[in-house]
Amino acid sequence: MAAAVAVPQHKLSETPNSRAIEIHDWLITASTNSISNAVECDALQSHLGFSLPEMTFGNNYLTLEHRKSAWKMAFDARGALMGVRRGELQDGDGGVKVGYADAWLKSRTDPGTNLPLPTTVAAKPYDWTYTTVYSGHHPSTGTELSSSASWEDADPENSTHDIPLAELTRPDPILFYAEIPLYEDELHDNGSSNLLVRIRVMPTCFFILARFILRVDNVLFRIHDTRIYHSFSSNPPLVVRQVSGWEAPYDRMKRQLPRRNDLTPLTDANWIAKVLSEMPVEATQKAGAGTRWRGLRTKLEVVVLNKSDP
Amino acid sequence: MAVTLAGRRRQIEQLTRCNPISEEQVKRLCFKAREILIEEANVQVVDSPVTICGDIHGQFYDLMELFKVGGFCPETNYLFMGDFVDRGFYSVETFLLLLALKVRYPDRITLIRGNHESRQITQVYGFYDECVRKYGSTNVWRWCCEVFDYLALAAIVDGRVFCVHGGLSPNLQSIDQIRAIDRKQEVPHDGPMCDLLWSDPDEISGWGISPRGAGFLFGSDITKKFAHENAIDLIARAHQLAMEGYKLMFDGTIVTVWSAPNYCYRCGNVASILELDEHLAQEYKVFTHAPSDVRSIPAKRPLADYFL
Repeated sequence: MAAAVAVPQHKLSETPNSRAIEIHDWLITASTNSISNAVECDALQSHLGFSLPEMTFGNNYLTLEHRKSAWKMAFDARGALMGVRRGELQDGDGGVKVGYADAWLKSRTDPGTNLPLPTTVAAKPYDWTYTTVYSGHHPSTGTELSSSASWEDADPENSTHDIPLAELTRPDPILFYAEIPLYEDELHDNGSSNLLVRIRVMPTCFFILARFILRVDNVLFRIHDTRIYHSFSSNPPLVVRQVSGWEAPYDRMKRQLPRRNDLTPLTDANWIAKVLSEMPVEATQKAGAGTRWRGLRTKLEVVVLNKSDP
Repeated sequence: MAVTLAGRRRQIEQLTRCNPISEEQVKRLCFKAREILIEEANVQVVDSPVTICGDIHGQFYDLMELFKVGGFCPETNYLFMGDFVDRGFYSVETFLLLLALKVRYPDRITLIRGNHESRQITQVYGFYDECVRKYGSTNVWRWCCEVFDYLALAAIVDGRVFCVHGGLSPNLQSIDQIRAIDRKQEVPHDGPMCDLLWSDPDEISGWGISPRGAGFLFGSDITKKFAHENAIDLIARAHQLAMEGYKLMFDGTIVTVWSAPNYCYRCGNVASILELDEHLAQEYKVFTHAPSDVRSIPAKRPLADYFL
């Protein structure tokens, strides 16, 4: 098949643990490494104040730099974990317990139980599901981009303020591709919590998907997606960001299984994302799994890069 | 039907090459293993010297690395603290090899139960699917689960090193109380047997309840009190990934031993085994994962994907 689009000049470079592409005015770097060692974990843990996910890829990152405007954006585990609730969970945090928590506690507290609960100290509370609505940060200041003035709500009348699916489904050559895991935890065999960042650079654009996906067995499924799109032909340069969250009770997802006895799709991120995002939003973004999690929404934002920063 | 010694040796050789044995052979092996395990105590008594190992999780080729570092059985006396199956690609071969060694050399290898040696957990985390894929039916999975029910809950080396998969229980002050549990059942969702396989040490004082809403955390004071009252020097446990292969806590009263290097084929962590000599001196031997050219480990670099 003849290439439908011209491939622009670009430069790829590589070290054992990182790869980069320079294309148009952009420098994009992805670094993937082993999980953090004990010293790194201890440092990050004392900074965050809660136990880290079992697999914390503290040295992994994705950075984007637009050289003309000096605009930078990054994804890393530290930034993402800073978005996890530390302390007692509050309204909007969407906190849940494991499926058998009530039964477990009841077995210890029923009058006449032969397994009396010992006096317990409050273990430092935190969101053990590692739910985060992190959607990238500014590496220079360390502040959350979402709170930064540089992102503005997309204009629904402006057709460039959207992510063009037609362009992204076109089989153009992928010039640069990376998958950058930030953290993963099996929730002590009660499910799975996972944050993975993916990027592909195409001849006409780059596209990023940072997906947090949570399964708590017999309780719920939850997804938080951040999609970032930039067209190299946008003028002035424009970056579009779409942030979405969905949730559904475990049993409801189970009813969507293609075959009743085959549970393997329940551990397949693509299947979960497809089913969750295609269900009516009344179910997945209003009702959710009844947790009233603040992440249940879709919002579209843009940032224009030639503005001089105040 | 009796299986000859030569037959058992061939079985071990076959499994050591990561070749699964026939369904009929699995059935007989599991039956024989149950006969041996039913005679074992809840807290199996083990003599030093012994090499203590943590989670394996079906990482067969990494288990071979472990044997290279620690020596093969029966030359080395082994104690495996559970979580033989799930997550890795070769849970079937891993568990059956350990079981075949147990049947051939019952006094040179001790297997205790981890929280993954359970019907419920293996249906979610891979062992069930692997059995069905490799044997075309659920028989092998069912026979293995029956063996799981007979595995010891803990072990004690020379009366001084207590070994358990998870940790302590607020309902078990003494090792003798563990001996009174009726262990021949599926891992329950609560109670002392569940605690032994699930609880974790944590930097708290006293007992804590996990933020997940179920399961115990135990602090330094609890650990030291248990050690003191039961006259033990060390609690060895597994259950949690330790980046350096092992992690000592609470002034060396408890250690987490982790024996699955490059966990899930992507963590990049090292693993370790704990060798106790005849004086119970501890030596941690650290090892790395098998070279990635041995069979179907996923390629390091993911294939480009038109994700949306």
